[in-house]
Amino acid sequence: MSNAQLEIQLIASIVAIACAIPGTFLVLRKMAMISDAISHSILPGIVIGFFITQDLNSPLLILLAALTGIITVVLVEYIQKTGLVKEDTAIGLVFPTLFSIGVILIAKNANDVHLDVDAVLLGELAFAPFDRMVISGADVGPKSLWIIGSILLITIALLFAFFKELKVSTFDAGLAASLGFSPAVIHYGLMTVSSITTVGAFDAVGAILVVALMIAPPATAYLLTTDLKKMLFYSVGFGIFSAISGYWLAHGLDASISGSITTMLGIIFLLVYLFAPNKGVIAVLYREKQQRTEVLLLTFLLHLKNHTDERERHVNHLNEHINWQKIRSKTVLDLALKNNMIKFNKNIVSLTEKGNAFTSQAIDYIITNEDAQIEDMKDDFFLFRG
Amino acid sequence: MIDIKNKTTPIAVKVDDLTVAYNYKPVLWDIDLEIPEGVLMAIVGPNGAGKSTLIKSILGILKPIAGSVSIYGKPYDKQRKLVAYVPQKGSVDWDFPTTALDVVMMGTYGNLGWIKRPGQKQKKEALEALEKVGMLPFKNRQISQLSGGQQQRIFLARALVQNASIYFMDEPFQGVDATTEIAIINILKALRKAGKTVIVVHHDLQTVPEYFDWVTFLNVKKIATGPVKDIFNDDYLTKTYGINYKVSIHK
Repeated sequence: MSNAQLEIQLIASIVAIACAIPGTFLVLRKMAMISDAISHSILPGIVIGFFITQDLNSPLLILLAALTGIITVVLVEYIQKTGLVKEDTAIGLVFPTLFSIGVILIAKNANDVHLDVDAVLLGELAFAPFDRMVISGADVGPKSLWIIGSILLITIALLFAFFKELKVSTFDAGLAASLGFSPAVIHYGLMTVSSITTVGAFDAVGAILVVALMIAPPATAYLLTTDLKKMLFYSVGFGIFSAISGYWLAHGLDASISGSITTMLGIIFLLVYLFAPNKGVIAVLYREKQQRTEVLLLTFLLHLKNHTDERERHVNHLNEHINWQKIRSKTVLDLALKNNMIKFNKNIVSLTEKGNAFTSQAIDYIITNEDAQIEDMKDDFFLFRG
Repeated sequence: MIDIKNKTTPIAVKVDDLTVAYNYKPVLWDIDLEIPEGVLMAIVGPNGAGKSTLIKSILGILKPIAGSVSIYGKPYDKQRKLVAYVPQKGSVDWDFPTTALDVVMMGTYGNLGWIKRPGQKQKKEALEALEKVGMLPFKNRQISQLSGGQQQRIFLARALVQNASIYFMDEPFQGVDATTEIAIINILKALRKAGKTVIVVHHDLQTVPEYFDWVTFLNVKKIATGPVKDIFNDDYLTKTYGINYKVSIHK
């Protein structure tokens, strides 16, 4: 692996981490679309900043662009507050307008400089190592590495300092306000960090990948954990993994690096979406099937409990009376037997003591409207699940 | 101004000429209200009467267009630590990745202030509050895995942990089962016994005399406030709700 390759992977990974942290909170605040808006509408900020500084990596340019990001958020909120359009419409109105102002500015004035629409949308990670940071004659590494590295350090410091404030205002803005943590301050703080991160990452990976890196890793992590800290760690992990594997995918296919990283993000999300242990599609389907069988079991046990006369509890009668198909009846009967809930006595089915206790308790919960408790109760009774 | 010194109990919450508007349409109109210390008070009124709005503007969550609020004679900003708030259960996203214990811990954040992190002391307080509301076995449960009643108890525990003097609750009985309702009202009565002031937005008129000792009728304007035994009668119910309430309350 050459030095340049290493540097590209390093930059991509750091960008991924810097994006995953604010991204986690954006996803939890249901503001994923805002990051899309910011990533596009900072363009006029970048162009104007470039005219002033003549340097794509100047801190002033980053601040100007971040300011445009904040203006986007303010504009969206302002339009939304008038009540004339909904939030998604407001976002759709603001960012294309600002973005196209940026496009016109580039076309009119910046034709002869290194700033074109392609680079803005897709970035060019492969060229990042060529733009070096030189301090008093010594080469200290690629400029973008320094920029995004500093942004990451600030982000991490802010996260450590304000983790509890971010958490409480994201979960319950009303409580945060009544406790004296102004949700507005935290909201705009998060927007500022998101904007600055977007600008910093923008040059390296472009507007589209920035959005993907902010949203896809947290969305994936959300499916795997119920703990905010773990969600942050998993997001960071998925971000780094996609950055590095995406790089090698691009290397193998001789394709765009940012495109390959985004593809990896999509593939990982799809895999987790299907196979996540609790919230994944397959797990949900399996659980639904299990629950269906268990509800049938409860229905069956209830029938046995309600009818004391033997005629109602004869196997043949049950078959025609409950009106279930053969396979279904067999599944339910098997489950009841496996869990020692019923016993046979010459084709007469009756509840065991355990079956009786289970049924009574379940009825109690249903009558008192505490259906949720039935799930807990199953752990106490079931040897095998449906 | 009423001279507070002449009264035996101090005024916990005082609202002066409060007007709140959404989009220039007043939802609360010129409210004057004094809540004495140590009462368990229900705020009742029809839908859209501004009950939640009243609580939210006392707590500084909403900005009034006129009027002022004081807690024990000082503005809310200075008295934050004396006040705890239980919002409506539906106001938060219960799919948020966090546990019951963590939600209760949030109640300690106010005393910690900015940046400082909760430690063992805060954790102990949170666990004790969970124990008080009977939710200790669920401390590590993800909050979406709790039933409606359990979620409400978690919110109550979060308010208890704030160890405040005044508790504001927005419909704590909404969507909870009978057992939880009794558990919650017992805790509220225990709070009053301990000398706390408890203010509850309440919907079920039938239970007002049984649960509360103080009541405020509200319908955009304040209709009346005072002891339940004195003012909870057909006259004020009719004024607040319109003509038909006499019949339904006696059923």
